[in-house]
Amino acid sequence: MAITDTPRFVRADGPDKVTGSGRYVADLTLTGMLTAKLRYAGIAHARIIKIDVSAAKAIPGVFSVLTADDVPDLRYSPVVPDRHLFAKDTVRFEGEVIAAVAAINAEVAQQAADAVVFEYEELPIVADLEAALAPGAPLVHEDWESYDVTGDTPRDRNVATFSSITKGTKEGVDAALAAADIVVKQRYVADGSHAAPIEPRGVVAQWEGNKVTIWTSTQVPFDARNGVCETLQMPSNRVRIIVPHLGGGFGGKCGFHFEAHIAALAKASKRPVKLVFSREEEFLAPDRRRESMIIDLETGLNADGTIAARRGWVAVENGAYTADSAFFPQLAAMHVAGPYKIPFVHIDSSLVYTNHQPSGSVRAPTAPQGCWACETHTDELAKAVGMDSVAFRKLNAIDTGDEGVVGQVYGEIGLQQCLDTATEMAGYGQDLPDDEAIGVALGWWPSFPGASGAFVRLDADGAGQIVTGAQECGTGAVMTLRQLAADELGMDPEDFEIIYQDTGVAPYDTGATGSQTLLNNGRAVVAASEQIAEQLKDHAANMLEAAAGDIVLANGTAHVAGSPDKSVSIAELAEVAAGGQMLIGKGSPVPPEYPEIPGMNCVGDQGVAAWAAPQFSCHAVRVRLDRDTGVARVLAIACAHDSGTIINEIAAHGQVEGGVLMGIGQALTEGTVYGEDGRQQNPALLEYKLQTFADAPPISTAFIQIATAEAGPRGAKGLAEAPNVPTAAAISNALAKIVGQPIRQLPMTAERVWEATLSIADDSGETA
Amino acid sequence: MHHMNLDVNGMSYPITADASRNLLSVLRNEVGLTGTKEGCDDCECGACMVLLDGQPVNSCSYLAAQAEGRAVTTIEGLADGDDLHPLQAKMLELGGVQCGFCTPGMIMSAKALLDRNPEPSEEEIRIGLSGNLCRCTGYAKILAAVGEAAVEIR
Repeated sequence: MAITDTPRFVRADGPDKVTGSGRYVADLTLTGMLTAKLRYAGIAHARIIKIDVSAAKAIPGVFSVLTADDVPDLRYSPVVPDRHLFAKDTVRFEGEVIAAVAAINAEVAQQAADAVVFEYEELPIVADLEAALAPGAPLVHEDWESYDVTGDTPRDRNVATFSSITKGTKEGVDAALAAADIVVKQRYVADGSHAAPIEPRGVVAQWEGNKVTIWTSTQVPFDARNGVCETLQMPSNRVRIIVPHLGGGFGGKCGFHFEAHIAALAKASKRPVKLVFSREEEFLAPDRRRESMIIDLETGLNADGTIAARRGWVAVENGAYTADSAFFPQLAAMHVAGPYKIPFVHIDSSLVYTNHQPSGSVRAPTAPQGCWACETHTDELAKAVGMDSVAFRKLNAIDTGDEGVVGQVYGEIGLQQCLDTATEMAGYGQDLPDDEAIGVALGWWPSFPGASGAFVRLDADGAGQIVTGAQECGTGAVMTLRQLAADELGMDPEDFEIIYQDTGVAPYDTGATGSQTLLNNGRAVVAASEQIAEQLKDHAANMLEAAAGDIVLANGTAHVAGSPDKSVSIAELAEVAAGGQMLIGKGSPVPPEYPEIPGMNCVGDQGVAAWAAPQFSCHAVRVRLDRDTGVARVLAIACAHDSGTIINEIAAHGQVEGGVLMGIGQALTEGTVYGEDGRQQNPALLEYKLQTFADAPPISTAFIQIATAEAGPRGAKGLAEAPNVPTAAAISNALAKIVGQPIRQLPMTAERVWEATLSIADDSGETA
Repeated sequence: MHHMNLDVNGMSYPITADASRNLLSVLRNEVGLTGTKEGCDDCECGACMVLLDGQPVNSCSYLAAQAEGRAVTTIEGLADGDDLHPLQAKMLELGGVQCGFCTPGMIMSAKALLDRNPEPSEEEIRIGLSGNLCRCTGYAKILAAVGEAAVEIR
């Protein structure tokens, strides 16, 4: 098999994107199309007294106004079905949809949405995670006990799901902490934040007979389809989801939400209907926000610097409804426990309802916050035992063959190499001015094996098509599929076009979520291509009078091994095949197995305690602090990642660089600010500051490439989320060195850093 | 309703639109060129950047009527037939494109920058493009692409 030279990689969707010819949902127009507007509750918690749409419906140009009365009366969501399409009886956050309007144009639609009469009785707001857990706290869901929950997860009042991870026993942890030479106990508090893709979401729905086609900016077309089927009670073959180009997602466009509202409007209006979010809506209503967290950690050390035990308590904000957040507590527990050798571990972790926007899988959910707490804590441990923080990590971080925090024994992993490489690249240990320091953090993240399918075919002229259920959100993962097919078939990647993001033509894939596209769909494309390779070899064997086993596919031809002159072009073979058994391959291989942990005693296991093909990383970041203002500037960052084999170098570097910048934003400027009324106070790009070109530091990246067993094609693991994990943590550790103490609040805004600086009388900053 | 002739990418478009309409909306709807994107409608993201007589403008916050009598250049007007402009070619070649939603505005800002400063330093590129938000790339590969395109254009 020839491996494509990836530095030459040009993405298949690139020409569309640089010329402006590429279409995103907002660019689509259908004949007779109406404009949709949603009417939001605008209040965090209230009992609905009346929703009256008669005035809205009477406005000329309004085609339909829908509420909960107009759609099937059922609760949905994957694990804890706790919500309706439209608010029913109670509203639980400000962005909850109470009505949807379709009208002749945007002005009339907005006028009608505003004309919906909403009478309500205010209810007490649940905003603070600890207050939500207090006995007698107001309930976000009064009927929580009646919900038809799947799986086995402990729940209680405002606790939507609960998980614990334990190594040893709870009593063992208590005893080990009591016996430890040093114990460090701290609390870390992280605010929520936003995915903030540059493309605001859009949905267009059109009915033809009893079938609906929905063009939508989703990262997960099959989830979107399933959501429509569930909420509108339709079979899957009558709902077709098509995603044109997707303008970024970062997890914010995971899950299902507005597709059914717009499909219902289109059906009621007998017209195509289009919804496009404003930037403010993209902040207030997407239903996928990065969760706020409170993390308490207590760690015991032995005098030699080894970690004896860790106890932790984590509250993860769920917001008003449970989307794909059900597994967050266990994931958060793993991140605060960390990639360390600790003999006794117990972490309790709860997903807590509040009257805020629901949380969802934003790029490595719970990980940047959990890692930030764990790694800030790790530097505090090193300081307490009088060790350099890198030496402390060398001593305690897991390596190949070690047992981790739930008893999983890891195969060949590159965490220690990541630590060595990133610190060396950053020049860790050099003398620095006293307003600068280098902070270091380790990160980890699971891979998610799962079902995935693809078809590959070569038509009569030898041109290839990859028909895949995978979703491209910008990472280049889907674009890389043609490289995999080309390498299997001895062809050029540019010989293939990709048909993707259409549930009507392609088999299932999980979507652009969990960094799983290459891991799973890559295997599917390789499997489909292998079938075609066998067919090509059979045809070539006949034509060249050789054994099929001796045929080699390379450079667009099939030749006999050892006799490159005895060859036939793949185009000729395709023409022959087109007259009989056509060249069509289908791939849906058995996913790699999740590792088992003998004797694991985690409560409320959500399947993410044992990590398949875990990814590891180390970031070392050089930061300068202006002590007078508290403004931190990231000067440079060195990143080392073990994501297994790297298949597409350019795209891989792009993932690390983008993830790092998002991480810097989370570290320093990005945080949702809520008012006393439970409503967001900074739903705009001026108030919610993304990192700009001028803020971006030089980023250097190294990949520790270990071909990993039970992983993706050629031993690849996931990558898209991992770079987002340790950046905020590394910045935190640099700031702690300059300030003299950690900033235990995230984001570490200039104001918070400045206050911490003031509280240290003698700011004798250490150098790294 | 206001009647106007808009010169977009060298072609004259007779347009009738409400005088309050912004240039972005008229370009995307009446003119029919959707390469210019709307990311915020508030001059914060730069996705709607076009050139007016060569100057970069956030078209979301500029009235269409004000553009009358001036040359509007959008992303669709940059390539010469099938030949990509060096900025477009380098963005592709060096991985400066991921989701692509910020790309048209980013390229238009870069075009304006290189037109007024053919040899920008790295710092000048960073500052010149700081009005264009990208959430995907970390800006590193865009920086490289603009730098190499500048060399190629010279």
